[in-house]
Parts: sequence; C-alpha cells; structure tokens
Amino acid sequence: MSEPKTYEQLLAENEWLTIQLEEANETIQAIRTGQIDALVVQGKEGHELYTLKTADSTYRLFIETMNEGAVTLNNEGVIVYANSTFASMVGMPLSTVIGLSFNQFVPGISGDAYRNLFSRGWTEENKIEIELIAPNRPIPCQLSVNALELDEGVSLSMILTDLTTQKESQQLLEENNRQLARINEALEVSNHDLLQFASVASHDLQEPLRKILIFAAMLRDKHADELPPDSMRYLGKVIDSSQRMKRTIVDILTYSRLSTNIDSFAMTDLNVLLADVLTDFELLISEKNARIQVDPLPTMEVIGGQIRQVFHNLINNAMKFSRPGEPPDIYIRCTPCPSDKLDTEPDDHHCCISVTDNGIGFDEQYAEKVFSLFHRLNTKDAYEGSGIGLAITKRIVDRHNGAIKAESREGVGSTFIIKLPLRQQTNSLLHDYSTEMESSVG
Amino acid sequence: MTTQPRWKVLLAEDDSDDAFFFFDFLHNRPDVDLLPSVTNGVEVIDYLNSALQSGALPDVIVLDQNMPKLSGKETLQSIRANQRFQDIAVAIYSTYVGPQLTEECLLLGASLVETKPVTKEGYNKMMDSILGVVK
Repeated sequence: MSEPKTYEQLLAENEWLTIQLEEANETIQAIRTGQIDALVVQGKEGHELYTLKTADSTYRLFIETMNEGAVTLNNEGVIVYANSTFASMVGMPLSTVIGLSFNQFVPGISGDAYRNLFSRGWTEENKIEIELIAPNRPIPCQLSVNALELDEGVSLSMILTDLTTQKESQQLLEENNRQLARINEALEVSNHDLLQFASVASHDLQEPLRKILIFAAMLRDKHADELPPDSMRYLGKVIDSSQRMKRTIVDILTYSRLSTNIDSFAMTDLNVLLADVLTDFELLISEKNARIQVDPLPTMEVIGGQIRQVFHNLINNAMKFSRPGEPPDIYIRCTPCPSDKLDTEPDDHHCCISVTDNGIGFDEQYAEKVFSLFHRLNTKDAYEGSGIGLAITKRIVDRHNGAIKAESREGVGSTFIIKLPLRQQTNSLLHDYSTEMESSVG
Repeated sequence: MTTQPRWKVLLAEDDSDDAFFFFDFLHNRPDVDLLPSVTNGVEVIDYLNSALQSGALPDVIVLDQNMPKLSGKETLQSIRANQRFQDIAVAIYSTYVGPQLTEECLLLGASLVETKPVTKEGYNKMMDSILGVVK
C-alpha cells in the first residue's frame, strides 16, 4: 500500500517532472533540427539505444534545405510529410499542407498523368512532368516518385523539381535557334543570289560585250580606209572601253569565285610557280627594260592557281606603276617571319614573301585602302585596271590563312609583304559551293 | 606535192552572230571545210546518224556549251557513247569556261575546251589547236 504523499513530496515530484518535460522538449527540438541521430533511454533492462531511423540527421537536413519539393503520400494520396520547399511552392504554411490530398495541387490538365503515376508509382520508379497549382501561376514541375518502406507501412515519396527556369531558358534557346535558322536561310538565299550574280556577270554580260568587241573590230578592220579619222577614233574608244569592261567582269568573276572551293591545297614549289608567272611577263619586261631579282622561295602548301594570281597581280602592279623614264626594278624576297613575341625564335611555320619596286609609290595613309574592292589611287586614264587586283590578292592570302600588308613612299617605291603558313592546318571548314556555281554558269 | 587535207568541221551553235563569226573568220582557211552549221545537240546527233549512212562523218565538231535541248557537254556524252564516232575530235567552247566544266568535258573525251575567242586571230588559234589534236 502506498502512503498518501505529503505536500512536500508532491512539490518535489512536480519539480522533477517539470525538469523531465523540459529535457524531453529539448530532445524533441534536437531531433527536429537534426542535431541528434540516436537516443539512449534508461529501460527496465538497463540502457537501450534508439537510432532515429526516419530522422537520420544528414538526410533530414538535406531534404529540408534542398531546392526540390519533397512530399510523402500514404496509400490514399494524402500528404503525410512535406518539406518547407514544397510548402513555399504551393504557398501554404507547412502545418496546413500535411493532411491534404495531393490531388488538389494537380490541375485538371495534369490529372490523368498524375493518377497514372500514383497507381504505378508503388511498384516502379517513375517520372512525369506536371503543372503544380500555385498562388501566382502554375509551376511546371518534374515529378519523380518512389515507393518507401517505413515503419508505418509503405508510402510514396515524391520529389518535385521546379522547371520554370529550365523551361524559360529552353524557350529562349528555341527562339534563338529559330532566329538563327531564319538568318541562316537568309544568308543562304543571299549567297545563292551572289553566285547567280557571278553567273550572270560571267555569261550574260560577257556575251553581248564580246559581240560589241568583235563587231567593232570588224567595222574598224573592214572600213579603215573609208572612215574619217574621228570615226576611227570613236571606234577605237568603243573597243578600248569594251575591253576594259571585259577585264572588269573577268576580275569580278575571279573575285567571287574565290569564295567557292573548287581548287585544293597542294605542296607547291613556289620557284617553279614564279618562273612560270615571269614567262607571262617576258614581253613586258623587255619592253620596259625591267630588272627582276628573285630570292630562292620555299615549297609550301598552297592553291597553286591562286598564288600564281597573287604573284601575277603584284608583279603586274610593280610594272604598271613604274616611274616614267625609270625602268622597273623589282625584288622578290623571301624571309623568315619575325615572331609575334620579342626575344624568341623567329616563327618557322610561316614565311614572308615581299615584292619591292622602285615605282611611283603611294601615300602610306592608303596602305590599308589599296586592298579594298574597286579602290583606285590613280585615274584610269593614267593607269588602266579594274581596281580589283589587290582585293583579289588579299582575298587569296586570307583564304590561305595568311596576311598581307603594304609599305610605300611616294616617288620611291612600294613593298607588298605576304605572310603565309608553310602548311595548312585544315581546309575542311571551307564550304563547297562549286557544284552549284558551275552548273548555273555552264 | 601532196594536197593539204581539208578537215570537215561541223559547228553546233544556237547564236547566229557566233555562227557568223565562226564562218567569217575561218572560211578562208585552206585546211578546213566548214559544213553547214546546226543549232543544237539533237541536230548534231541526227546529222551524225545520217552522215554514217553516206560515209561522210565530220572530222571535227565544235559545240557551243549553252544550247537548247542538249548542252554541249550532253551532246559530247552522246557522241562518245557511240563507238562509231570515236575518231571525231570534239571541241567545246563557251562565253565563260570554268575549271569544273573543263575537267568534266576532258574526262568525257573532249579534245579541247575553250573560251569563245574575241578576235579573228583568236578564232584561228582555236582552230589551230583543234586541228593539232586531229593531226
């Protein structure tokens, strides 16, 4: 029989119980915040260890702080656990969310997909995309489910990943891609137009011009005796102008053809190539009493026909822009290229070829401009030409992954320096339009 | 003294001015016999087939590249497809001749691929080169 307790005894017991309650509250708080993962409890048979299976501190923290919404559903689809991310996604306090049916966060449009997922999710992992009803606007989510065996029975755990940003960037990306496709299409059209233009220039313009030339020459040759001197002079002008136009057309065609990739790179002995070019100038050289000095040149990977054109244009210019009464003195040098950095070995992957003349030269402020299309520093009357030669030259050098520059002094002479790689890395990036072009030109 | 051979030359040209140039610049040559020209590739094939019966095949055919019905290149292909036309020298000429056309036609068995000349001298040079292949 137990004696009734005295007031003092009850007071002491009450105090002890209060302390016990405080301790218990502290423990619960510690469990909640993940500070504890096991408890030791004084039982009938001594100390017993209880590990906190559902409250493994690391994972609890992880789930509470992760960016994804985490929800656990029972077999009726009622939320038995939710992390705070999920609560803030649906804009409700955590305490309100627990106990609600998950169904009510799923809009009608995603209903079937969700029900299907809910029924299958118990036996297999699954993922779908749904919209989640939220205060402002529906949130696109990836919903992945997994059945979890807990003490209370099996429950369905769901992770909700907010896809808003991803969807937005995806949309942006798609829009950008569409825009790129549009630009690309426009470029292709314009490129095609250019090729068409080259084809028209090469054929349809040349055809009538050729006839003008031939008929004018026939008129001149057959009626030279009958025509008054003035008429003969006019006829001569017709022929000269037609010839100039023909040259221009051919030059434009050459220039536009450079963007196609008809010819290919091959190891070429530049000495042979240059000697060949110089034979074309034999007549002019003897006429002008020119002197041409040539350094030994390397063998390098080039498009032979194009580099031939480069030499032809540069030598042609050197001959053309000679000073009156002064025979052209042309020096073609080959030097190792200075490296981009100081104090290091010279660059042995490139070589620099220069063509120096003693001609009329030009003001060096035009040193860049001389390479632009149709740019002329002199009148056509004094020096004939289409104004395309150096533009072609620069374009060829560019296509060889090289560089060209001009140095000049008026009345002293000019030097054109070309830097070219001895070997081409790759030319697979160059697009092949040749088939299209040739078929349209015929 | 042997008489100089006169090579029978057939021109296929749809442009009457160009046909005129061809005849005007070349008719005085003692080494060529200019046959009446035809205006497209189909007529070339018809001509050859009937010439085969009379035994009077041309020695040289000059084809304009841009012709209606059959282009110069296509006509060349048809000519080369027939074993009995193997000995005929075929030249193709055009206002503009690109490297690709040249290469293709030479592969198909053209004797010469040239840009249309602009002078009388040019026409004669072209004919010299063609005859150089025949001889």
